[in-house]
Amino acid sequence: MYKSGVTVWYSVSNLEQTLEFYTGKLGFEVVFHDPSTGMAMVNTNTKDCVIGFSEAETVEPATSSTVFEVINIEEAMNSLAGNGVSFIGEVEQIPELVKLATFVDPDGHNLMLAESLAEV
Amino acid sequence: MSKEERILRLSQELTGQWTLPILLSLDENGGRFTPLQKKLDIVPSRLSANLKKMVADGLLLHLSPQERRHPLLPEYVLTEKGRLHREAARAVELSEEQIGHGRLSDKLWGMPILLTLNFEHGRFQEIRQSLDGITPRILSVRLQNFHDDGLISKQVLEEPRPSFLYRLEKEVKQPVKQLSHDLTSLV
Repeated sequence: MYKSGVTVWYSVSNLEQTLEFYTGKLGFEVVFHDPSTGMAMVNTNTKDCVIGFSEAETVEPATSSTVFEVINIEEAMNSLAGNGVSFIGEVEQIPELVKLATFVDPDGHNLMLAESLAEV
Repeated sequence: MSKEERILRLSQELTGQWTLPILLSLDENGGRFTPLQKKLDIVPSRLSANLKKMVADGLLLHLSPQERRHPLLPEYVLTEKGRLHREAARAVELSEEQIGHGRLSDKLWGMPILLTLNFEHGRFQEIRQSLDGITPRILSVRLQNFHDDGLISKQVLEEPRPSFLYRLEKEVKQPVKQLSHDLTSLV
């Protein structure tokens, strides 16, 4: 029934500012950008998983989280902090499952880094 | 309210710089703010103010972020009244094209004055009385502009006392009559 592919869509207030964040700070690549309609998409490090953005007059921060898996959360945090990403609070740990670090994009949409602690 | 009054009111509700373009462009731009703003080349704050007024006038619904199930879905949709006004806007646009003097509905009271003349109200006071809320000054300015542009004629009447009689020029008469007919079917 399903085929490979997940897109997370966000309403954003300023598309250029958003793209600067997702490309300049997070290191993703723009795969689609149409300024005339205020739409854009960036890829992630996961095949067929992309994030879409649509400019809107009114934007409310999304409460759901898009979570990016990393190998080592402290190293990843240091790397992103060096790009100007600010993390909210300390690293949270769910024992034997995952370590989580929270940050937000320019519109306050929740984003997270996750390092899995579960043995594969 | 008579049919004539309803037509004049409808045409009055379509005057102004942005109402008509927004009504005509909203759907083709997906009901979204940014494409509409880029298409109309309007300052965002001005578009916001116009949309807010159109929501207050019952022409548009503003969907909240929670009501939009996807960021690409419309932020604004036409109400039933809005769809009727869009039909009226198309009729106004058509008559403007036929008259060939650019947009006439972008100035307050422009189209209502031409429609009033179509209803054979030709004297200044008659026009003023048929357009609820118009000031003598703006009526005077519009009549002068229409006369300067060759859209209306001005005839001096001596009796019962000296005054002007305004009439639509021949080439303007048919488009305005057609507009009146089109709006009649909508009110």
